[in-house]
Amino acid sequence: MAMTETRPVSVDLQENEENRAVIEAIEADNEDLTIRHVPGLVKLQAPGRLVIKRESVEERLGRTWETHEFQMAIVTLSGHITEWDEDQIVLSWGHPERD
Amino acid sequence: MIKSLGTYDFPSKSRQELYGDDILVHVWRKDSMFFCAAATFRAPKAMKWTDFVDGMVMPLMTSDPDFDRTKELSWQLVDDSFVPDPDKSLEENGIHHKNTIALIGA
Amino acid sequence: MTTNPTKPVKKLSMQQRYSALTRDIDWTPSYVTEDQLYPHTTYEGIKIHDWSKWDDPFRLTVDAYYRYQAEKDKRLYAVLDGFAQGQGHLTLSDPAYLNAMKIFLGGVTPLEYQANRHFSYLARHFNGPGPRFAAQCQSVDELRHAQTEIHTLSNYNKYYSGMHNFAKMHDRVWYLSVPKSYFDDALSAGPFEFLIAIGFSFEYLLTNLLFVPFMSGASFNGDLPTMTFGFSAQSDESRHMTLGLEAIKFLLEQDEANVPIVQEWVDKWFWRGYRVTAIIAMMLDYMLPRPVMSWKESFELYFEQQMLNGLFPDLAYYGIRPPKGVEQAIWEKEHLSHLVYHTFYQFSHAANLTTSIPTKEHQAWLASAYPDAFEQFYKPKWDKLEKMAAEGNRYFYPGLPQLCQVCQVPMLFTEHGDPTKLCQRHSEFKGEHFNFCSDHCKEIFDREPEKYVQAWLPVHQIYLGNCGGPTIPDVLAWYGYAEGDSGEMLGNVDHNNWKKWHAQVDDSVGGRESVEVGGAAEAGKGA
Repeated sequence: MAMTETRPVSVDLQENEENRAVIEAIEADNEDLTIRHVPGLVKLQAPGRLVIKRESVEERLGRTWETHEFQMAIVTLSGHITEWDEDQIVLSWGHPERD
Repeated sequence: MIKSLGTYDFPSKSRQELYGDDILVHVWRKDSMFFCAAATFRAPKAMKWTDFVDGMVMPLMTSDPDFDRTKELSWQLVDDSFVPDPDKSLEENGIHHKNTIALIGA
Repeated sequence: MTTNPTKPVKKLSMQQRYSALTRDIDWTPSYVTEDQLYPHTTYEGIKIHDWSKWDDPFRLTVDAYYRYQAEKDKRLYAVLDGFAQGQGHLTLSDPAYLNAMKIFLGGVTPLEYQANRHFSYLARHFNGPGPRFAAQCQSVDELRHAQTEIHTLSNYNKYYSGMHNFAKMHDRVWYLSVPKSYFDDALSAGPFEFLIAIGFSFEYLLTNLLFVPFMSGASFNGDLPTMTFGFSAQSDESRHMTLGLEAIKFLLEQDEANVPIVQEWVDKWFWRGYRVTAIIAMMLDYMLPRPVMSWKESFELYFEQQMLNGLFPDLAYYGIRPPKGVEQAIWEKEHLSHLVYHTFYQFSHAANLTTSIPTKEHQAWLASAYPDAFEQFYKPKWDKLEKMAAEGNRYFYPGLPQLCQVCQVPMLFTEHGDPTKLCQRHSEFKGEHFNFCSDHCKEIFDREPEKYVQAWLPVHQIYLGNCGGPTIPDVLAWYGYAEGDSGEMLGNVDHNNWKKWHAQVDDSVGGRESVEVGGAAEAGKGA
């Protein structure tokens, strides 16, 4: 995967109390994040890559959090899930753009 | 061609023979967007053009308050301009099942 | 027991659990051949060499699946219960809002059920355990969606018209043949085409346009239960999107010969799905009393930005280009919703919903959302229809429309690039004449005419006498309509009840004399 890939990837999450820790963790772990609020949901968009880290969520939530729980928060996404394990979920695009 | 597990041959659900002596005819106005879409009529093949226009087409067209009946009308049948013979039947005028007739002017 | 009780059992990693619980439950057939066991996966011409290459990024296992789905349902039903107990229906922005939910219940919910059935078929018929399990989960999801949607909307059905009988309406009502025939087209295709049709083209390319802006609209219009089921369903949708995306990548990576087949399906199913979303455009722009995001903006954000500029550069790597018809869809974003609502306005005497001229405030919003189209092309139409209504001539189209043979939408679309000319296309097949709304519907027909000649077009069937009888009242009775389901919104049963109920709410601080007590029976009804 090209390091220069900047096509935006995004996740849309339900904006509620349950998800606040997840949203804050994403904000902390991703530079250049664009946040957009529409009624009921929040859209988090990042250039090229977006990561959700279990430790960051747990720190804010004050309890253990399995990455599987992300399924409860997510409304939609843009990009490929290129990694999903116990510790983190990564979204990015799979192939570099051709010139 | 369709890819299928077996023989694939089914009749049209709108074929003319189902309508007996009648056909479906579509009519639309080419110069106006007042009507949201073209209309469908069921009419006897043997119906005279003039009866078709006066009895079926005009009641629809004049539901537009701006439709001007006094203006000269011209027609198009499918893709080609069309000068119908008012006393001949739809069939004799060359109108086939599910053909679309455009009304121009008015 | 020989294990040391003080030492905890080592947990499997997500990957190990997925392998053990999903992939390792497969077996090799011994007394039949693989072709006999999976007889439907070769005739479409798709070549699969290694089913184990199918990837599921969610690493979903059956225990985790049910645990999280149960939690989602628990949260949803808590909201439904609270809403019903608190007379939540009175807090909607306006009863007109529910017209959109009538379309949803009759048009979308039955498709969820059909999806449940067909993903269950895929869960039986794919050779590989990875896609079989993903299809199995999606099948169960779709059943959950159908059930939760019916439960959610049943609360409104107690108080408002147009929602009873939704399953019968789905099978019979003229405009509901659009979503129904779309899904029937997919169900009657092979398993791989279905996967591209529904898994990829609908779930990945277009589903966001249905659920995300619309459910946000529900939130903005006081419909908490719909927002909750929408987002709850949509949380499954991200898994379905992933399945769709994995599906297309898998097919493209397995064999180069699959690429042109997949491209044809992408072309066809983008356009089929896009034509169905025309109704969503209308819902977003005209049916939310408090609009949130225009169709144009939603299309730009969820389709042009995320799909065309995000996904398709990836697919170009495999030799897949954006679907035919995309340019027309981009052009149409300015016009689509206006044309569709205009059609429903003229035919709402035959729909299970009511319409009215958009209010001045709503028209001002439309003008700001569509600065290049609304005032020029559509406001004059509403002005004319409004003038007619004021003169006592609320307009209803006195006839039946022409339908496109493929998408089954009334022929309301214009030429690509010219909003002032309706579009007409046609083909001949075995001596019979067929009509289409666009170049792309014509192309779809010309590719498989044997399939589309079988279309059950409501207008043609009405004229054959197959829909209850020869007159409009006969047909509406056959649809199962009741008083208040159709026509003009102002003065309709729901509208009158709403005024009455809200007057009762106000009555708590006095003023009973002013309360209108007119019942449903004397409510005016269009046509």
